[in-house]
Amino acid sequence: MRPSVPDIFHNIRRYLKLYRVFLFQNLKEDMIYRSNFITLVIMDIGFVGISVILFKIIYSHVNTIAGWTFDQSLILIGSVGIIREMAYLTFRRGFLELGSHIRTGTFDLFMTRPIAPNLHLAFRHVSLSESFGEAVMGGVLVVYGLVHLHHWSWISILLYGVFLLNSLLIYYGFSLLVNSVVFWVIKSQELNTIIYFFMETSRYPGDIFRGIGKIIFTFIIPIGIIATVPASILIGRIGWGFAVTALMIGGLFLSAGLWVWRRSIEHYSSASG
Amino acid sequence: MKKYLTLFRINWQNSLQYRFSLVIYLAGYSLYIWVLLYLWSAVYHEGNTVGSYTLSQLTTYYLLQLMINSVIFSYISWDVIDNIKDGHFSNFLIKPLDYFHYWFTVNLSGKILEAFFVIIAVGLISLLFGGYFAFPGQWITLLYFLISVILGIVLAFEMDFCVGMITFWLTQVRTFKYMLQTLILFFAGAMLPLDLFPDFLMKVSDILPFRYLVFFPISLYLGKVVNPWPSFIMLSVWILIFYVLARILLMRGIRRYEAVGA
Repeated sequence: MRPSVPDIFHNIRRYLKLYRVFLFQNLKEDMIYRSNFITLVIMDIGFVGISVILFKIIYSHVNTIAGWTFDQSLILIGSVGIIREMAYLTFRRGFLELGSHIRTGTFDLFMTRPIAPNLHLAFRHVSLSESFGEAVMGGVLVVYGLVHLHHWSWISILLYGVFLLNSLLIYYGFSLLVNSVVFWVIKSQELNTIIYFFMETSRYPGDIFRGIGKIIFTFIIPIGIIATVPASILIGRIGWGFAVTALMIGGLFLSAGLWVWRRSIEHYSSASG
Repeated sequence: MKKYLTLFRINWQNSLQYRFSLVIYLAGYSLYIWVLLYLWSAVYHEGNTVGSYTLSQLTTYYLLQLMINSVIFSYISWDVIDNIKDGHFSNFLIKPLDYFHYWFTVNLSGKILEAFFVIIAVGLISLLFGGYFAFPGQWITLLYFLISVILGIVLAFEMDFCVGMITFWLTQVRTFKYMLQTLILFFAGAMLPLDLFPDFLMKVSDILPFRYLVFFPISLYLGKVVNPWPSFIMLSVWILIFYVLARILLMRGIRRYEAVGA
């Protein structure tokens, strides 16, 4: 049965409400461990700092990388940080915990609640602190990069936001695809290292890929899209054709991810059985 | 000696069980190296050269780094931390096993399996990326490289063991380890060859022992080291220093551990 339009709106409202409850609950927990929060922020700033230093060293030998200047690359690094924080605020922690839920059988809980399992898993442990430092650093880098570019408009900033969201959906779809493997092969906490490296390498401009690599890193492992497309939009580097393609890739990854996830969940048999 | 051989065999069988995790981790890291190869390739196709490297040498640098990351680097401190934190360490106090030798054996047997998988990964990437991998011109170069890898395994293990020992004093050791690991990778030359660093950072990396884990072996392989003996001597000195440090930390750690238990 197809849900009617009012149903969909009702559902969205319901999930937003649930999300708010989960978010506040998690924020309270974050605040209990305040020293942990500070350590995480300092660590993140250190990690982003090292990325910037690495780029700075490369740019001391070259003027551009695949047409990108140093200031433009800072926007790439910053965008990755912002997308990571958006992911931690929506779904990332759930996937990190998925392996142990499957192994110990606690995933049963997600199957029996009146909420879609993927959204329950995602919202249950949303985290503000996990990547907060990286997001703050990211924001600073994006602004710094923009100021040094001299030309920007409110429209491009708005579109930047839209394409950040699109990248978040690609990130989510990709995570669903990779994590679905867990239902077929029980031992697989390492699956998320793939996703970690996926985000780490998204810092490099997608324009570096050539030949078969261009196809692989655009449509199969969309490293060349995640940060590159929003950043390109912001600095006015790409045409509408590629922007529309990126939106289509977003839709594609989300649908493929949800489809494979649903198929894989059917394969889940509780650990206790 | 015999009991360590048995331990070696048992752990080898255990590692085989975890080969799925190993393959996944390697796949992730290979992805990272693969993207870096595209990055450098793009830089060179724009008509740039970086330092004294040709594109083929840089490609070789990163492919060897992928190998070294599995073969030389030790990751047993994660297990050492767990072992001490959850109290299993107590079992070792009554067993006729030396804690240092125990983990050395465990590390070594895991490395051999990883080496096997990583060579397949490197082969696959070089095939996909197209014949950029450079082979050394002389046999002696290859021999030097192998010696440096073996010494590197020992040094990396000792350092990692020392990091594990910190657990006796610091409960938040995991966070600390993440930061330390990134710094080690940075100053080892795992992210960028050290001779591309600006002068100041290059001097810092010269003083630190981490360069012997990545930059030194690869430079040997690429034939960039004219006389390797001074470096070999320095490397041996570092191995000795970290051995003594590991022993001191273990001795004091045990004393502290017993004090906590009392």
